[in-house]
Amino acid sequence: MKDSLVLLARVPAHPDSRCWFLAWNPAGTLLASCGGDRRVRIWGREGDSWICKSVLSEGHQRTVRKVAWSPCGNYLASASFDATTCIWKKNQDDFECVTTLEGHENEVKSVAWAPSGNLLATCSRDKSVWVWEVDEEDEYECVSVLNSHTQDVKHVVWHPSQELLASASYDDTVKLYREEEDDWVCYATLEGHESTVWSLAFDPSGQRLASCSDDRTVRIWRQYLPDNEQGVACSGSDPSWKCICTLSGFHSRTIYDVAWCQLTGALATACGDDAIRVFEEDPSSDPQQPTFSLTAHLPQAHSQDVNCVAWNPKEQGLLASCSDDGEVAFWKYQRPEGI
Amino acid sequence: QDCIKPMKVDKRSGSGVAKIHIEDDGSYFQVSQDGGTRKLEKAKISLDDCLACSGCVTSAETVLITQQSHEELRKVLNANKTAAPGQERLVVVSVSPQSRASLAAQFGLNPTDTARKLTAFFKTIGVHYVFDTSFSRNFSLLESQREFVRRFRGQADSRQALPVLTSACPGWICYAEKTHGSLLIPYLSTARSPQQVMGSLVKDFFAQQQHLTPDRIYHVTVMPCYDKKLEASRPDFFNQEYQTRDVDCVVTTGEVFKLLEEEGVSLPELEPAPLDSLCSSVPAQELSSHRGGGSGGYLEHVFRHAARELFGIHVDEVTYRPLRNKDFQEVTLEKEGQVVLHFAAAYGFRNIQNLVQKLKRGRCPYHYVEVMACPAGCLNGGGQLKAPTTPGKELLQRVETLYGMVRAEAPEDAPGVQELYGDWLQGWGSERAGRLLHTRYHAVEKASSGLGVRW
Repeated sequence: MKDSLVLLARVPAHPDSRCWFLAWNPAGTLLASCGGDRRVRIWGREGDSWICKSVLSEGHQRTVRKVAWSPCGNYLASASFDATTCIWKKNQDDFECVTTLEGHENEVKSVAWAPSGNLLATCSRDKSVWVWEVDEEDEYECVSVLNSHTQDVKHVVWHPSQELLASASYDDTVKLYREEEDDWVCYATLEGHESTVWSLAFDPSGQRLASCSDDRTVRIWRQYLPDNEQGVACSGSDPSWKCICTLSGFHSRTIYDVAWCQLTGALATACGDDAIRVFEEDPSSDPQQPTFSLTAHLPQAHSQDVNCVAWNPKEQGLLASCSDDGEVAFWKYQRPEGI
Repeated sequence: QDCIKPMKVDKRSGSGVAKIHIEDDGSYFQVSQDGGTRKLEKAKISLDDCLACSGCVTSAETVLITQQSHEELRKVLNANKTAAPGQERLVVVSVSPQSRASLAAQFGLNPTDTARKLTAFFKTIGVHYVFDTSFSRNFSLLESQREFVRRFRGQADSRQALPVLTSACPGWICYAEKTHGSLLIPYLSTARSPQQVMGSLVKDFFAQQQHLTPDRIYHVTVMPCYDKKLEASRPDFFNQEYQTRDVDCVVTTGEVFKLLEEEGVSLPELEPAPLDSLCSSVPAQELSSHRGGGSGGYLEHVFRHAARELFGIHVDEVTYRPLRNKDFQEVTLEKEGQVVLHFAAAYGFRNIQNLVQKLKRGRCPYHYVEVMACPAGCLNGGGQLKAPTTPGKELLQRVETLYGMVRAEAPEDAPGVQELYGDWLQGWGSERAGRLLHTRYHAVEKASSGLGVRW
């Protein structure tokens, strides 16, 4: 188990602070990290080591909680506790803040870019999810303010290929949104977690959604379209989502992040017990009731809570993680033999 | 941000940790170590607490505001029953045309019958006069028209003359004052809303007519939303001399419906009563309304007036062009190929956000914006009636149709208006007109929470 995850490098990315989140650019060549020191750092590989190529420091007044690259790789969005979201434009190694999205009442917890590149979503402790649209002149306008959650919204993520948005909240639910006429609506609420849902990840096909929670489980949800073969009930023309698998008993603390590798389908988790785990779906498992096996478990991957895990989109098995200890670690994952 | 209402807790002697147990009905019981239980008091937030706090952003739900306003009306009516002669308060109810349209839709009545039957109902429970805020709206519209033309002409002298942003929506005003006070206040129209013009009319003009001091009148308005309750509570609308509010109590359309139910009255079955008129010289037997939609018609009236006054152009039909969504529309006036007037209507939070951001960046292309907090405007207010079996969209359509059934009239032509400008206000643009038909706004300081909680 231990050998399936091998440490490649460790960097003190946000010294004397927490490192909150990581994001690989679409080309897989750069890693953005953000933290409690109010900065975003961009890391690039030089031989076997990772070096800091840029520091984005004049953007935020408080902790930067999440970062997200645009699908084209030319823009980076940073979400901050200062209630704003900065949009940075990349010009070789330089990043310039081209606009600041304001409007949330308090801490912005997450930001995510839609696959089309025209839409952005943000969510906040103010319980709302906002959808923004960007035009050719890099002008951003608020398209919708969604107030479906009853508590702090921790994370937003877009479906890999459709204009569908998912959000995770302190209210223990996951909600799904789509566009309807000139507005966005919440069309499904996923209930089942017994505590805060911290993060979400779609599988490569977009048919399944993984959620991780303070209840120490990972749940896998599947979308069922109207008139599906399995006879899952749908209301009207909206798809239904059902929990088809629960991974419990593996984590001893809150699970803060889950990442679904778009190349291999492996699931990585970041846990409050300082460990990183990887799960893989059993090849013979039923798609309607899949089973996952633990293929890697690295206790003390960091010296404190692991906040984020991120699979490199181009290089198989390359995983990055970050922690409250301010460090970023790079790992090589190899599925163990005989699984 | 959380509500900052300070809780007064009676400290009881005795040590030990108490547990709090929640019953199925939602009430809280404190269970002390010896097993004894004590029911805990619910914290109540009053309107004035709400106004003092810069915490929550206004919302149609307004859960925090006590919803017993129709009970307050009852209290006054009951007090009147047992009052000594000469100690009674004169009870006046002013009904908004939006609430009337909602009730009309609910009961399948036309607006005129609704108005007459509502008048009859209120009078049976002890109300003395029932008015229509469409009348006071004439003044709001006329003042808005004049104000825009004045500010447009004064552009060279002031960087903040334009755009003029409407201020009749208290939901919008609460948000503007609390979140972007210093930025937005200079742009707000100072014209009072129809509710508050009615406050002036009832407590100043009508009181004089009735030979009463303003505190002897209890003025209730019926409104389509809860935010109008906040508006009525503003210190600017409190008469210091007589220690009385211009509007004592606001009940929503839903609260009137509850009142009807509690009284066991079926509105359609009531005998209609004749309508009351503020101006004794003008009998009001026919309802009258204004062009330009269910939120008052500010854009429409100001646009047509400005086109005429500033450019000599008579505009017949105003053409609204929807922009990114149906709650954001624009109107332009062209003269000799140039756009000379550029107006917009922005309804709903997302459009207000975009407008505010444009203003912040100095990129607002409009001369005038009609701003409403509720998507689809006042007819869709949070206090309007809902029909359990009718989909919202269909119901709204019905309410809009009923609202539009009432004949529209130009505000300057409405009977009694010119007369009141002359007699009561002593002239257009007079000191009295400024005091009674206009108001001002105040930026609210943000309370910083200073909590170091890990997020």
